[in-house]
Amino acid sequence: MNANTPETFESFVEDVPADRIKLQTRSLNFYYAKSKALHDVSIPFQDRSITALIGPSGCGKSTLLRALNRIYALYPGQRAEGEILLDGENVLDRGVDLALLRARVGMVFQQPTPFPMSIYDNVAFGVRLYEKLSKADLDNRVEESLRRSALWNEVKDKLSTSGLGLSGGQQQRLCVARTIAVRPEVILLDEPASALDPISTAKLEETLVELKADYTIVIVTHNLQQAARISDHAAFMYLGRLIEFAATARLFDNPRASRTADYITGRFG
Amino acid sequence: MALLDRRGRRKAANALFVTFCTGAALFAIAALATILFSLLIKGIGGLNLDIFTMSTPAPESRGGLANAIVGSVLLCGVAMIGAVSVGVLAGTWLAEFGGTSPYANTIRFLNDVLLSAPSILIGLFVYYIAVKPLGGFSGWAGALALALIATPVVTRTTEDVLKLQARQLRESGAALGAPMWVTIQRVLWRAAGGGIITGALLAFARISGETAPLLFTSLGNQFMSFDMTKPISNLPAIIFQFGLSAYDDWQRLAWVGAMLIAFAVLAINILVRVLSQEQKRS
Repeated sequence: MNANTPETFESFVEDVPADRIKLQTRSLNFYYAKSKALHDVSIPFQDRSITALIGPSGCGKSTLLRALNRIYALYPGQRAEGEILLDGENVLDRGVDLALLRARVGMVFQQPTPFPMSIYDNVAFGVRLYEKLSKADLDNRVEESLRRSALWNEVKDKLSTSGLGLSGGQQQRLCVARTIAVRPEVILLDEPASALDPISTAKLEETLVELKADYTIVIVTHNLQQAARISDHAAFMYLGRLIEFAATARLFDNPRASRTADYITGRFG
Repeated sequence: MALLDRRGRRKAANALFVTFCTGAALFAIAALATILFSLLIKGIGGLNLDIFTMSTPAPESRGGLANAIVGSVLLCGVAMIGAVSVGVLAGTWLAEFGGTSPYANTIRFLNDVLLSAPSILIGLFVYYIAVKPLGGFSGWAGALALALIATPVVTRTTEDVLKLQARQLRESGAALGAPMWVTIQRVLWRAAGGGIITGALLAFARISGETAPLLFTSLGNQFMSFDMTKPISNLPAIIFQFGLSAYDDWQRLAWVGAMLIAFAVLAINILVRVLSQEQKRS
């Protein structure tokens, strides 16, 4: 690239049927104190499907994910500008109740983070915050969540033991169970399988594919095969910009941006 | 050959280092064992039922340490309730909300100063704010002085162990829609519980033997008293007074008192360790 011509970032964004957009960003800019980490990102997330965010380290994919439930608001100095629309409502508006937003937009992190309490209490934690369920209803909710996260058979006889005693893969599925127990509408996952072995990863992927029947799922991943296996749409990001968004098969088979092609063929990143 | 040489040297360096570490550990353990052993030797002979049933005697008459034991338990108990309540909240504020703001840094600095303040100064301070104005020595003043010594220890350890907790634990709480204070109460305090308890124990161990601040505040009392508004007896002051006396029976009581404090602290430490192990296993 010639040093005198500024790098251009042409963005290729495929349309998603308007009536199926659950969540979308419009001209989203994100700042860590003074440094800008996202530049004018506009991306739609379709309901009941999985969207994968891919790109090299530092490209802004985790930043984008962390903007969607405003988890960044825990840290002073981080801020987002633009719009993030959840069912048409801008979640960046001042009046938005962050706790309620996060109950609607759940999140699973890279490292499994079970709370230091029993498996049952881990799953019931979020439910107890917002719903007054009878013991029987809560039991049902816990069982349902553990079944859906494919953990029930492994833990049904030891619900009262500590969540910290589970293996890494089980812990991560416990975190998924904990997240879906509050019945969110969107689930965000930040490289959820990067600390897991291949067998646990496969189980987690199966779980996600089953969950998409009911949820809008956004997953950040470094693993291109994973993105290709489980996602319906994929977004390639680079240097804080959205380079390309398309149906996963199309993006992998026939990328329109040369940077996308370079990345998925392993030429950089 | 060179490879073998280097391995030999590395092994030798390793052995040397391990020897030093083991030696240092043995030295520390030996010192502790000597103290406990000599307390046991000199204290055990004086141990009998009178110690727990009778108050401190006049010289050369029958008596025990019951009033001092009750006084010490009251003073330390009240002081620890105050110190843990204030210290845990202050440490939590510093770790979770204060950040590196000038206000938080000032508090952190002052807390560290208080942490290393000579306890006799704290006794004097309490004497001027609580003993003189209120017209006399009292158990409350003694407990206040002890609490002032214990609080910075609890504050500091609480802040430290909370900061050790993974950032993701806080984010996970928030991501489930839990307000910060719920995450702190139900998740972070629980995760950091062992460390906070250890800090409280250290503080307790520290104040259980404090003498100087009590001489200025709760003074002492020859008789059994549960009244915190009056002067109250306590073990460290009795050890100080009896230990330096010329009477054999008083000196024997001082040794028993010293032994009681040392083994009480030891027992509480062991108990808490056992409890926290059990908690981890369940």
